Amino acid sequence: MKGASRSVECWTWSRRALARHETALLLVLAVEFIAFNALGPRFGTTDNLFDILRHSCEIGLLALVMTPVILTGGIDLSVGSLLGLCAIGFGKLWRDVGLPIPLAAAGALAIGAAGGALNGWLITRLRLPPLIVTLGTFSLFRGLAEAITRGVDTFTNFPASFLFWGQERWLGVPAQLPLFVVVALGIWLLVHATRVGRSLRAMGFSPEGALYAGIPVARRLALVYVLAGLMAGLAAILYVARLGQARADAGTGYELFAITAVVLGGTSIFGGRGTVHGTLLGTAAIAVLNNGLVHARQPRELAGLLTGLLLIVALSLSVLPERFSLWRKALRRRHNPADTAP
Amino acid sequence: MKAAHSLHLLLGVVLLAGCQRSAEPPSQADAPRKITIALLPKSKGNAYFVSCKKGADRAARELGVELLFDGPTDPDPAKQNEIIENWITLGVDAIAAACENKEGISTALRKARARGIRVITYDADALPEAREFFVNQATPEGIGNALMDEAARLCGGEGEFAIITASLTAANMIEWQRCIEARRATRHPNMRMVALRPCDDLKDRAQAEATALLSAYPNLKLIMAICSPAVPGAAEAVKQAGKAGRVRVIGLGLPSENRRYVKEGVTDTVILWKTEDLGYLTVHAAHALVTGRLKAGDKTFRAGALGEFEIQGDNIVLGEPFAFTKDNIDQYDF
Repeated sequence: MKGASRSVECWTWSRRALARHETALLLVLAVEFIAFNALGPRFGTTDNLFDILRHSCEIGLLALVMTPVILTGGIDLSVGSLLGLCAIGFGKLWRDVGLPIPLAAAGALAIGAAGGALNGWLITRLRLPPLIVTLGTFSLFRGLAEAITRGVDTFTNFPASFLFWGQERWLGVPAQLPLFVVVALGIWLLVHATRVGRSLRAMGFSPEGALYAGIPVARRLALVYVLAGLMAGLAAILYVARLGQARADAGTGYELFAITAVVLGGTSIFGGRGTVHGTLLGTAAIAVLNNGLVHARQPRELAGLLTGLLLIVALSLSVLPERFSLWRKALRRRHNPADTAP
Repeated sequence: MKAAHSLHLLLGVVLLAGCQRSAEPPSQADAPRKITIALLPKSKGNAYFVSCKKGADRAARELGVELLFDGPTDPDPAKQNEIIENWITLGVDAIAAACENKEGISTALRKARARGIRVITYDADALPEAREFFVNQATPEGIGNALMDEAARLCGGEGEFAIITASLTAANMIEWQRCIEARRATRHPNMRMVALRPCDDLKDRAQAEATALLSAYPNLKLIMAICSPAVPGAAEAVKQAGKAGRVRVIGLGLPSENRRYVKEGVTDTVILWKTEDLGYLTVHAAHALVTGRLKAGDKTFRAGALGEFEIQGDNIVLGEPFAFTKDNIDQYDF
């Protein structure tokens, strides 16, 4: 009984810590908005807000799906490379095989899911650590994309009806936004409102415990990696639609942007703790920073530096009150040692 | 928990208010606005483009325009597009782009043109309909003629030479070789090309190829390296073989990468255009386009201190390539 009550306590503590973290992030975001709005006259315009949304859409999708992956205590370094492979696959199916766009898109999603399934299979069947497996497929997928195109072939001249989804507005907002909202909602529900989501967190807290509690750990793990692959496929399609070209270097480095957004959003890299809305806030904080610097006429290189700073500040803001009360207790103890008597 | 909730709400309201305020169109009242020209390099840290920027800065000072210089620092191909889209929202007057990936960037450039922003390209062109002018740093004929003439001059008009290229399939390399051959056939018929070797744009491959050439062709008088890593590569091979001065090295490359060999007397001449002038001319052209001084169909264009430039179709031609030698190479730091 005692153990159970402690674990409940632990739960409420971590929930509160997360809420604090999200508040801190929201604060950071508010500061960014106010500062950039003051520095750049065009920053707050609808046009610019839509720019931010469009530019962060693909990384946002990857960050969304990276959240459940990291919640299980895993990681997926291959999503950026898989995005590249799916983009090439999409271009190849459309231009060389001659499939219509919707079928080529379905093909890209299938390639993504297959890549994710390969990750999942290696992790669950061969019991290799996700870091190692996805480090391998990180090179494998990118290498495959480069081999298929020999590094030089570029797919382009896509029909305007397809480019619409990356460049135009639909219902008054960037065309990819409704899709993004639907995906975000789906992932949120999966993580926060289903038994599957609960089991993912349980696996992150304690893999053995989850196994003994009767959770089909292997199946759940495979699910999150397939989902990650599928999302890389979707992001690839939106990427190609936005840029109007598919090349083997599509999505280079996106895995790290996604992981940064997730960690900034308060998800513990050790798994078990984190929220999808935190990830969205993390993505937004980075995206606004990147865009706002241009409007404030500051060098873009500052973005990397400030993102790092942001990460450290946000993380320490969320643990500071806890630390602070511990210090106070320690101080009080030192002044009247009688307190420590059992 | 409750406190946290209300804080969330409050912050949300602040955010919304922040956006609302400036969602109104920007006021047009702010009197004679400075013209803003945005210059996009292929990558920001590249010494070549840093040197372009130097010239661009000089032009911007002369013309009294604001110059934005921004480009990718990492190899993400989407970055150039994002930077251009940011500039569109920022409302710049003109964009001058050096294009890393032709098709991808053309989408963004077309969008800029649709919003009334004047667009030109420099160094590497976009699709023709995505821009109004291309500031062309050197025509293939200009490069081919300069290299072949210099080779013939150094060899006294006759003898064997070999070419080291990046790859046998790269379009610009093939074009340059064609022009070199054309010049050889018409002007220097006693020069004989004995070998053409690819080096995959790698310095160590170029060095290995040059070493092989030196032993395979004992009568070789000159090595011509037509991709930039190959020039120091070939020079290193000649130096190590102890044939400096007997086998000459010339090529197309950056002065900074070759300064050492040029001063040691291993490499005789490095051919390139003056990158500072490229940046200078580009900013002048963009400015003239905004003010209406430069229009489609013009045959010449005057750019400040540099004077008159020829326009071929929609290409503003920078002119003849420049030869960097022992005597002048110290004046250039790119």
